[in-house]
Amino acid sequence: MLMDVAINGITAGSVYGLVAVGMALIFGVLRAINFAHGEYYMLGTFASWWGIETLAFPYALSIPAAVVVVAAIAFAVGLLVMKRLIDAPFQVGVVATLGVSLVLQNLVIMIFGGTYKMFEGGWIEPVEIGETFVSKQRIMIVLAALLIFGGLDLMVRLTRFGKTVRAVSQNFEACTVVGVDVPRVVVGTFVLGCALAALSGVLTAPVVVSLYGGMGTAITVKTFAIIVMGGVGSTTGTLLAAWLLGLTESIVASYLGLQYRDAVAFTALIGVLTFLPGGLFSRRERF
Amino acid sequence: MTGPIHAALSIRGIEKDFGPIRAVAGVSLDIPHGQICGLTGPNGSGKSTLFDCTTGLQAPTSGQVFAGGLNITGWEMHRIVRDARVIRSFQKTVVFRAMTVEENLVLAGQMVGFPGVPATFGIGPRSRERTRRLRTQAGALLELVGLSHMRHVRAGQTSFGQQKLLQFASMLMPEPKVILLDEPMAGVNPVLIERMMENVRAANRESGITFVVVEHNLDALQALCDRLVVLSRGQVIADGVPAEVVRNPQVVEAYLAG
Amino acid sequence: MDGALDNRLRLGGFVLLLVALLFAPLVAGPYELHALVVSLTFLLPALGLNLILGYAGMLSFAQIAFFGIGAYTSALMAMHWGTPFWLNLCAGGLMAGAVAVPLGVPALRLRSYSFVMCTLGFAVIAQTVSKNWVSVTRGDLGLSGVPRPRIALWSGGYEVSGPVPYYYLALFIAVLAVLLFAALVTSAAGRYFVAIRENETLAASVGTPTWLYRIIAFALSAVFAGVGGSFYVHYYTVISPTIFEPYYANTLLIIVLGGGIGTIGGVVVGSFLFVALSELLRVAPDIRMIAYGVMLVVIVFACPEGLLPLMLRRLTRRTQRPYVSGSP
Repeated sequence: MLMDVAINGITAGSVYGLVAVGMALIFGVLRAINFAHGEYYMLGTFASWWGIETLAFPYALSIPAAVVVVAAIAFAVGLLVMKRLIDAPFQVGVVATLGVSLVLQNLVIMIFGGTYKMFEGGWIEPVEIGETFVSKQRIMIVLAALLIFGGLDLMVRLTRFGKTVRAVSQNFEACTVVGVDVPRVVVGTFVLGCALAALSGVLTAPVVVSLYGGMGTAITVKTFAIIVMGGVGSTTGTLLAAWLLGLTESIVASYLGLQYRDAVAFTALIGVLTFLPGGLFSRRERF
Repeated sequence: MTGPIHAALSIRGIEKDFGPIRAVAGVSLDIPHGQICGLTGPNGSGKSTLFDCTTGLQAPTSGQVFAGGLNITGWEMHRIVRDARVIRSFQKTVVFRAMTVEENLVLAGQMVGFPGVPATFGIGPRSRERTRRLRTQAGALLELVGLSHMRHVRAGQTSFGQQKLLQFASMLMPEPKVILLDEPMAGVNPVLIERMMENVRAANRESGITFVVVEHNLDALQALCDRLVVLSRGQVIADGVPAEVVRNPQVVEAYLAG
Repeated sequence: MDGALDNRLRLGGFVLLLVALLFAPLVAGPYELHALVVSLTFLLPALGLNLILGYAGMLSFAQIAFFGIGAYTSALMAMHWGTPFWLNLCAGGLMAGAVAVPLGVPALRLRSYSFVMCTLGFAVIAQTVSKNWVSVTRGDLGLSGVPRPRIALWSGGYEVSGPVPYYYLALFIAVLAVLLFAALVTSAAGRYFVAIRENETLAASVGTPTWLYRIIAFALSAVFAGVGGSFYVHYYTVISPTIFEPYYANTLLIIVLGGGIGTIGGVVVGSFLFVALSELLRVAPDIRMIAYGVMLVVIVFACPEGLLPLMLRRLTRRTQRPYVSGSP
């Protein structure tokens, strides 16, 4: 039983972590909270679902397909909306991304209907680990999270794009002076961040099973909670905070009741903001 | 030397560190009532930091500040303004752009005109009368600085020079005892500089307000101030009559080197 | 002079609107009156949001939580103690304000984005509490059978029922709220709020106790929302956790931003335009939200001050003049 709780927790945490690192990247270059971030996660699940239901894709194909579709949507949003948020007061960013989230959520509801959709697919055959059975999907999720985090860390440190992203995150005005195409970096980072959210969605869909248009909202706030807890600018911190949240949720859900699960993130958020403004792991930037 | 009780502003051993960097390295100054004191120094000399530590924008690492005998060390800015009547200006953001010129002035006088929180909500007697009195006072000050014709114009629509005049008038609203000016001549044309200096002299003469002027413009400081203090690398290197201070070899060297 | 014409237009507009609203039941049927009542009800939390966002400059998603708190408080009082309407209304407002203070004290120390998230989190917590504190709120079932408003000093009195009496009650409360709001924002405290919004450091330099007034603004906006919630629950006679859905919070945002942020008339116009109109046209909720979403994006980039100031500027044909002649 405890093993189950732990596995569920690590799995959920890995999912949250993938989404959170995307939001962190976007926040880094734009200093704006992407209120619609959870929606890209949701779009990932729906795109994959639609590919499987309507186009008879195998699950494996639906993964890159969904990511590409969501990346395209993110590209459009990036050009129309996110680009204009460079150097804008933060409240403009909140309202604008909120507007985007309303549109995305309700378009999905309008097109696909407001009922729950059952996701059929994924590698749900269980594998025996110790005394318990874990579905392959969950293992995939944790592996994917570790791989991507490692990859991102390398990318940010070693590749040119990564260095440019870091530069823009620190001082975009200086970047403009030096000749960096800041809008292009911003849109590119935004697409990357949303793609990560979408990937996370596709990987989680077989575990979550029931999908609905509004499922992104809770994700957005949990993601923000993770970023605050993990501290800005720390990839390891984000992943650790994500796992911590996932585990705590799992424990609360198992021993207190499922209905309290979503409240954990909010309570943790308010708690950390009140008592530990620098985050749990990083003492650097005050949130 | 005047002790803290008698001076308008008394700075005692102020030090301010930013991590390993020591911006202010032990400054002590007593500024007597009614003096117009200039404060200058090359870039990085710590004069802005000293200014901020004195007016509550930053807390000093060590040392104390007294205003008219009150120990204001570590006080929040609004409390220093309200209780010690030590008012400071800002160099760049000078007025409330969304409010009219008159509203800017009424706002600046509210701490005196509307003491206590309930009064500001209109609770209690005579709140209309209070506002009227503030408006009258505002009108008089607008006359003084020559901005009466701009009374109902949004401050954001006035020129920078006019905003500086408005800022100065605002500082006179709450019956100040000490006014600290942060580079008041920066970005201002020579005619206006002369006008501002005359405003300072008039306020000093007629209301006995003590002035501390942080400036780079040495000519203006010489013409305006009774006394000039020069900072370099966080310490006072000269303090006296302006005409002599500017010829002090240490001061010359500080400017050339820094 | 520009300012005077602008003020005369606004005042004239108000008077006209008020007269029109007073005589509305003569031409409007029950369905139209219902739409008007809904927009008058949401006017109150919108005014609250306008206070905290438009005047004090802080974006908050907690308004709907205070609306719900006011509603539940009022409903419980009426159901368990049979108290008269004015008492329920006050209790709803005061309870909301009382909750706002301990929330605001730590929350307002945070930076803007954290504060926003905190208020959002509070709204979610409020919903969770209302769903799970079953002994008091009856969870997802909600409270039903809330008594109609009883207009009396203590006992007896007159019970409000029927579309027209409800309409006039809503109108009365709304007008009172608008007048109170106007008095508030033109008071000395109102100037402090605007100063805080414009530049907090500058505000402190003219003696504004910024932290104190931010808390007051937050608490007052909660009171407005709480009173609105009280009326809401007595009108619909039911309340459930769905009131905490983002749907309502987003509606408030569009009213304030679309109508005219930082103005009184703007919020009034916004409420009628976005709420009454949507009710009347029977627009489906998801289409309404898509429209709101698109409007929010367009407004925030193209027309950030809202529709009313834009319209007024067109009417007075005012042009922006950066410098006025006679400068030194």
